[in-house]
Amino acid sequence: MRRLLAKTIAALALTTALAAAPALAPSAAWADDTLDRGVGSEWSSLDPQVNFDAAAGLILMDAYEGLVTFGPGGKILPGAAESWEISEDGLTYTFHLRDGLKWSNGDPLVAQDFVASVLRTLNPETLSDKGYYFYSVVQIAGAAALANRETSDAATLGVTAPDDRSVVIRLAAPAPHLLNILGAFQIPPLHGPSFQANGAAGFTDPGKTVSNGAYMFKEIVPQSHVLLVRNPNYWDADNVKIPQVKYHVTEDVTTELKRFEAGEIDVTYDVPAAMLDKLAQTRPDELILSPATEVLYFDFNLTHEPLKDINLRTALSWAIDRETLMSKIVKTGAVPTYSYAGGFDPDYHGPQMPGAELTQAEREAKAQELYAAAGYGPGNPLKLTIVTTVAEDRVKTAQGIALMWKKVLGVEARVNPVERKAWLDSFYAGDWDVFADDLIGDFPGAETFLAYMRPSTEPGYNWVKPEFDAAMDKAATLTEKAARNAALAEAEKLLLDDMIFAPVAIESSRMLVSSHVHGWVPSALGYYNSQFLTLD
Amino acid sequence: MLRFVARRLWGGGLTLAALVTLTFFIMRLAPGGPFSRNRKVSPEVLENIKRAFHLDEPIWQQYARWVWGLLHLDLGPSTRFRDYSVGDLIASGLPYSLTIGFWAIVVAGLVGVALGIAGALRRNGATDYAAGIVGVIGIAIPIFVLGPLAQVLFALKLNWLPVGGIAAGWRSLILPILILALPNIAYISRLTRSSMIEVMRENYVRTARAKGIGPRRVLTGHILTGALLPVIAYLGPATAAIITGSILIETVFAVPGVGRHFVDAALNRDYPLVMGITILYGGLVILFNIATDLLRGWIDPRVRSHG
Repeated sequence: MRRLLAKTIAALALTTALAAAPALAPSAAWADDTLDRGVGSEWSSLDPQVNFDAAAGLILMDAYEGLVTFGPGGKILPGAAESWEISEDGLTYTFHLRDGLKWSNGDPLVAQDFVASVLRTLNPETLSDKGYYFYSVVQIAGAAALANRETSDAATLGVTAPDDRSVVIRLAAPAPHLLNILGAFQIPPLHGPSFQANGAAGFTDPGKTVSNGAYMFKEIVPQSHVLLVRNPNYWDADNVKIPQVKYHVTEDVTTELKRFEAGEIDVTYDVPAAMLDKLAQTRPDELILSPATEVLYFDFNLTHEPLKDINLRTALSWAIDRETLMSKIVKTGAVPTYSYAGGFDPDYHGPQMPGAELTQAEREAKAQELYAAAGYGPGNPLKLTIVTTVAEDRVKTAQGIALMWKKVLGVEARVNPVERKAWLDSFYAGDWDVFADDLIGDFPGAETFLAYMRPSTEPGYNWVKPEFDAAMDKAATLTEKAARNAALAEAEKLLLDDMIFAPVAIESSRMLVSSHVHGWVPSALGYYNSQFLTLD
Repeated sequence: MLRFVARRLWGGGLTLAALVTLTFFIMRLAPGGPFSRNRKVSPEVLENIKRAFHLDEPIWQQYARWVWGLLHLDLGPSTRFRDYSVGDLIASGLPYSLTIGFWAIVVAGLVGVALGIAGALRRNGATDYAAGIVGVIGIAIPIFVLGPLAQVLFALKLNWLPVGGIAAGWRSLILPILILALPNIAYISRLTRSSMIEVMRENYVRTARAKGIGPRRVLTGHILTGALLPVIAYLGPATAAIITGSILIETVFAVPGVGRHFVDAALNRDYPLVMGITILYGGLVILFNIATDLLRGWIDPRVRSHG
């Protein structure tokens, strides 16, 4: 029997070793000319017209270049287009492509490739939900009709290429933020011949993928990594300093931290919140905390009887000590906020929620009065359910708020954490009194947040406010940024005054950037193109 | 023997069918769907995507469609990883999972049996105590604690091995394999030890010794053949332990295996991927249990007649 066992084991060992050998051959990842970056959990798609993930967006931003690109700090820079003009009415944008642009395989890059990309994104056959950038975030003429199958006539789309070097975008309504969504994440060009030959499968086969960015694909291993190498045909290839960029799947955030400490990863995707204090001591120069384009806010269910009372909602909002919550309880680096859409665009001067001008002690005192006036007290406490996602920091936030409500008002709040997908559905099911909401904006500006709250398009809040829609409609007609921001601020005042939610904090983006990486400038939107970085 | 094999295979098939059917329907009870988002995507576009993945059909029809696909060896497309089918994802991850799992079993078997024998032969000696300590550690400390500890010690402090990933080739797999093997080393060594002590007291062992057979022959020819039966019986459950362990190990050590998809797919409501991994892992566990039974049946006729 021993002999038989030994033989079986030997045979199995040999087959397994042979089968796995090619996959496990050591690669050149440890070389110094590679920038190793974490991307969190695996990218959902490398198909540039389908991918919705911010993490995959990092990879796509390196591999493709849009009409504009985002430089250090998120500054909008000319990308494939060297210049552009905006018509007087703000509805027509004309982009002029650089001379001699090439794809990574040497093919000439033409304006039509940008049109093809938008058309493919909107084409129902592509099964992409990313078209919402073109019919919702901005309204490109004809985009909604194409996405909704009202027409399949490509000529009706407001993105056209009158010649090989001009892209014209016609909007149905002015959108000063259009330039913010013309990067490679939203509208990379599409290389027609390779797409026709390989279909979507070509985007994951490094031998077939053709891109136009500073880097091109060399290796794609699902669940493991994507290796990019410098694209010699990129127009600015001479200024791309780092020869290779490797994006590692770093699903487990504590493992990612250890890999950073071991030098296996140069830039992390995230940092464990529990380690922030320690890292601020041990690696002060490498820990980078900056505000993200994401707001955390707690919705009140306007269909539930007690919360129909605005005074009660105000009491709940005022009883939250946001500074203590973020600095003592949650400790993720998120910044307390008293507004909804402010704090992202320095040119936007929006309002704050009522009571923001008071001190926390004053707010709490008034909250107690309002709570008592609403008929609640020690013998008759308000009972609430807070629905949140299971993410540790979100649960902590909800528990912290429940605690403050208990301490200040005597409210009995129960925190109900559910997984993210259930959380998304729960919002519309309405089985909550308080919903721990968060919204990631599509660009660092007030409009992306305020547009989301429009009662006409977002029924989930059960907020009826024609005045808000009207204020947003008015803002949408304005082409001049300052005037538009002023109109948006009027709309936000209507929103905040109704206290339909309690704004809590602006989420932070947390990462570790090795001291060997230079040129890293924090950006709210989280685009950090490797082409602007250097490595020593 | 053939009838025995057929009976076990039939039973295994029924178990697997029940497993995947239950999984299919229970999964749909969880709220949320693969395309739930908080974005202003037009309802027409969302409907169109759901239709393409057949999520608009009645659930029994989706089930029938899935079974039909399975019969054609088609596990369907992944809803989360849009670039790949479930088959692609399994094909790319399985070599890593199998390599780690296989070597973990080999290491667990060899080290576990060796420690067990050493412990039984020199009861209460230094080796026995050492094996006992390894056993207690392996059983008591979960691998999601041991893994990070090993990373700190071997990668960060000693700098011998990488923390994770697969870039360092076979060196990347040493820690995942050892940590995955450890709980099983513990079980197998304890099992071998106690079963050997029991067998050493048997009459036939005493008879063999009395006949003048050398201690080495008695050990290999008489004691081990009897003592290893429970160890072999444990290999079936050990496979299950290795598989569930690999889900954690692959996450902690960033190994691109199949196990990592398991929890993630369920959280992302990636129904086809959940089904694909369920049938793969369920099939493996059932298959190894049958193989274990066959091995035992072949060695020990009692199993054959009662099994």
